[in-house]
Amino acid sequence: MDKARLLDIFRHMILIRRFEEAVYDFHEQKLFGGHYHLYIGQEATGAAVMASLGAEDRIFSTHRNHGHLIARGVDPKNALAEILNRADGTNGGRGGTFHIADASVGMPHTSALVGGSVPLAAGAGFAAKLKKSGGIGVSMFGDGCFEEGVVFETLNLARMWELPVIFVCENNTPGAVLKSAGGNNTSNLPEGRVIQIPEALGMECHKVDGGDAEAVDVLFADCAARVRATGQPIFIEALTERWPGNYFSFPSMVTGVTQVSMAWDGGSISGEHQEWFLNHDPVLRFARQLLVSGVANFGDIVGIDVEVTETIKAAKEFAQSSPLPGTDSVYAHVLAGEG
Amino acid sequence: MTVMTHAEALVAAIRECMDEDENVALVWGSLMGVGGNNDHVEHIKADFADRIFHPPISEAAIAAIATGAAMDGVRTIFPMGTASFMFRAWDQIIHEAGAAHYMSNGAVSIPAVFHVVHGLRGGGSVQHSQSPQSMLWNAPGIEIAMPSCPADAKGLMRTAIKSNNPTVFIDHQKLNKRSGEVPAGAYDIPFGVADIKRVGADVTIVATSLQVVHALEAAETLSAVGIEAEIVDLRSLVPLDEEAILTSVGKTGRLLVVDEAPPRCSVASEVVATVAEKGMDLLKAPPVRLNRLPVHVPANVALEDFVGPNTDRIVEAAKTLCG
Repeated sequence: MDKARLLDIFRHMILIRRFEEAVYDFHEQKLFGGHYHLYIGQEATGAAVMASLGAEDRIFSTHRNHGHLIARGVDPKNALAEILNRADGTNGGRGGTFHIADASVGMPHTSALVGGSVPLAAGAGFAAKLKKSGGIGVSMFGDGCFEEGVVFETLNLARMWELPVIFVCENNTPGAVLKSAGGNNTSNLPEGRVIQIPEALGMECHKVDGGDAEAVDVLFADCAARVRATGQPIFIEALTERWPGNYFSFPSMVTGVTQVSMAWDGGSISGEHQEWFLNHDPVLRFARQLLVSGVANFGDIVGIDVEVTETIKAAKEFAQSSPLPGTDSVYAHVLAGEG
Repeated sequence: MTVMTHAEALVAAIRECMDEDENVALVWGSLMGVGGNNDHVEHIKADFADRIFHPPISEAAIAAIATGAAMDGVRTIFPMGTASFMFRAWDQIIHEAGAAHYMSNGAVSIPAVFHVVHGLRGGGSVQHSQSPQSMLWNAPGIEIAMPSCPADAKGLMRTAIKSNNPTVFIDHQKLNKRSGEVPAGAYDIPFGVADIKRVGADVTIVATSLQVVHALEAAETLSAVGIEAEIVDLRSLVPLDEEAILTSVGKTGRLLVVDEAPPRCSVASEVVATVAEKGMDLLKAPPVRLNRLPVHVPANVALEDFVGPNTDRIVEAAKTLCG
C-alpha cells in the first residue's frame, strides 16, 4: 500500500470538492452566468485516473471538466479565473466553464459537444503511436455520449488501428430517473449497459465502482501499464451514483458544503440525504477507507482539508481580482502564425 | 389581439397544427429552448402523447428519421436546441432532407421542420453561439425562416409545418421571453414576404431575428438626430423578398444590413450583392454590412457584446452612412 499515493488521491478529491463548492458559490453570486456542470460525486474516478498518468499522456474531457483539470494539476486559481472569463483564465477568458483546457498539462482542448472529445483522445493515441512517445490518450466522458454515433465510430477505429487509448466512461445515470420518465438523467439508453458496445467490438472492457477511489486506482494503473505495453485500447465503465444536487437542470447544493467530519462522526448525518452521506459520497467513502486501513488518522484528513480549503480561498480571491480580457483580444488567434 | 411571449406563440402554432393535422409529430427535447417555461407546453404533452417522441442526444439520426418519415407524409417538428448542434446533422439536413425532392425528380417531398436557436445568447462561448443561416443559405432545397417577434413566429411556424419543403426555423434565445401582440385565431404568414417594421425615408436597415429588435431600438435614437430609418425584416431567407429590399432602397438610397453571422459570405453579403446586381443605380452611397466580427464567440459576455452587432453599432453605422 503506497500511503503517499493514496493521500495524494484523497488530496485531489477534496480539492475538487472545494473547487466545485467555490464554482457553485460564484454562480449563486451571479459572478458568471449560463449553464454549468459540477463534478461532485465523481471525484474518485477523476483523481484516481490521473494518478497513473504522466507528462506524455493526453487527456480529453467534456462539459463536466473541472474535476479532471484539477486532478491533472491545473492551478485552481487559473481554472476559477477561466470560469469567471477573466484574463488570467486557462483560456484567457474565452472558453469559460465548458472549455477549460491547459495544453501545458496535456489537456489541450475541451469540447462541450456531447461525444466531441472522444475521437480527439483517440487522436492523441494516434499521435503517440506515430511518434512512439510512450504516451497514451485518455478520454473521460459520460454515458450520454453513447447516444452520438461518433463514439461508436471512434471505438471501432481505436480497435482497427490499434491505438493506445483508454476510454473512461463515467456512467452517472445510476440512481437517476430517466428523462423519458420525467427525470434529468444523463443518458436515455433503454438498457444502461453501455459496456456491451465496446465488448461487441472485441475491446478489452472493465467495470468498476467509480465511487471507490482505491478500486479505480488499482484497475486504471493496471490498464495504463498494459495499454503502454501493448498499444491496444481499453474501455472502462466507472459506475457512479448520481450526486443528488445533479437531479436538476442546474446544480443545487442540496447536500450542503461538505463536512469531512461526517466520515467518522455518524451522529452528524441525518435527513433526506443520509443515504448519500453514508454510502455514496466518494470523498467521505475514501476518507473512511483511509481511516480504517490506517493510512490516515483524523488529523491527517482535517489537515489536508484545511490546506486545500486555503488554496481554494486564495484561488477565489485571485480569480475575482483578475482583470477582464481587453476587447482587442478577440482578434487574436483566429489563425496560427508561422512557426 | 392577445399578448404572448415568443415561446408561447411558437407553442400555440404547434398546438394548432397538431390539432388540425394528425400527421404532425413532435420530437420533445428542450422544446424551442423555452427552458423553464415548460408549464405552457404541458397540454401538448398531455393531448398528443402518441405523436411525441423523446430524443436521445442524436441529432444526425433524428434529422434523418424526420426526413425518412416525411417521405411518407409525416410532418415532424424537430427542435434541435442550440443552432451549434445542427452541424452534427449537417449531412442529413443538406444531403438528405434538402436534396431528396430534387434527386427524385420531384416525386418525393420533405415536410420536416428543424427548429434551432441561434446567436449570441450571453455566455454561450464558442460551441453554443452559432448563426448558421448563411451556411444553410448556400445549400439548395431548404427553406429558412427567421422571425423577430411573437406574431411572426406564430404565423411563420404554421407555414413551416404546412410547407412541403424542409424548413430550418431559426429563432434566437434572446427573443424567447420577449412579448408582443399576436392576432387572434389561426393565421399563416407566407414565406418570402418581408415586413416593413418601421417606415422611414433616409436609410434602409435590412435585418433578421434579434437584430430587427436592435434596429428598431436604433431607429428611435436615429430619429432624435433627424435620421428616419426604414426597417425591413426579411422574415424568411428562402424564399427571399428581393422586391421589398429594392423598393425600400429605391426610396432611401442607402442600405445597411445587420446580421449575426460573420461577414464573409453572410446574409448581409447576399443582400448587398442582390442590391448591387439589381439596384446599383438606386444607391446614393456604398452599402454597409454590419456583422458579427470574423472571430469565434468568446465566453466573456463583455467580449461577446464586442464581437456582435448591437444597437449602438447600428446607430453609429447609420449615422456614418447618412453623414
